[in-house]
Amino acid sequence: MRFMMLMIPKGYEGAPPDQQPPADRVAEMMKFNQAMQDAGILLYCEGLHPPSSGKRVSFAGGKPTVTDGPFTETKECLGGFWMIRVKSLQEAVDWARRCPGSDNEVIEIRRVQEVEDFNEEIKKNIGGFETMQGTARKKPAAKGPKAKAKKPKRKS
Amino acid sequence: MRFLLLIIPGGGYAAAAPDQPAPADCIARMTRYSEEMLEAGILRGGEGLHPPSVGARVAFAGGEPTVTDGPFTESKECVGGFWMIEVTSREEAVAWARRCPASDGDVIEVRRVQEDEDFAEDSRKAATVSRR
Repeated sequence: MRFMMLMIPKGYEGAPPDQQPPADRVAEMMKFNQAMQDAGILLYCEGLHPPSSGKRVSFAGGKPTVTDGPFTETKECLGGFWMIRVKSLQEAVDWARRCPGSDNEVIEIRRVQEVEDFNEEIKKNIGGFETMQGTARKKPAAKGPKAKAKKPKRKS
Repeated sequence: MRFLLLIIPGGGYAAAAPDQPAPADCIARMTRYSEEMLEAGILRGGEGLHPPSVGARVAFAGGEPTVTDGPFTESKECVGGFWMIEVTSREEAVAWARRCPASDGDVIEVRRVQEDEDFAEDSRKAATVSRR
């Protein structure tokens, strides 16, 4: 089963748009990424720019309304994530515990929905979706295929 | 540039039961939306997540990992899934988010993904790993 490990760095919700992680933190996190990669469980991982350079679209009343970041009403935000494939939630938790997390960080572990998790009615509606996802992933990026994975972005 | 469109569902998803199925018509709408992204050539991936009630959190306060089982009563918002898209501007990403057939109370957070070239040189050296 697949799990998404969501890195929630406290304070990142108010970080300036150009905030850079310290190189030594990047190196530590790299070792963790490498360990997961060596174990064959890391599917991919990404880091996100701070919410201050993001936007939110809310659908209150069914109509889209756009708000600029940072999002002052939120106490937590996502800094990045890892997508892993392991045998159980416990194994995912064990990996998260090995992360060189800082005092201010929390990792939320969430199981990813697979087609077989849905009931028959829904399966009919999402028939081609797995194939579609595969197609999306195989499409080369505009700048050429992504050859590298990065650590999730960290707050200093 | 790549953007992550994070869907933060309203309607009590943060406290949803482990096996609570999403309404079939909602999933059908979302699948059509995803197909439109695929046809436009911008979709790079997407996933849906089981509710937080079947998840866990690991906190590192004091440097020691502490595990808490879901649901996470202290958090008002939680991620329900995401789309990864590649577009030419943030405005284009927002335009796609606005087209989402979302329900009343849902929010889509649009966040730019960090690319290698966004990092300082010293971090870039430390941050690169071959993708399998």
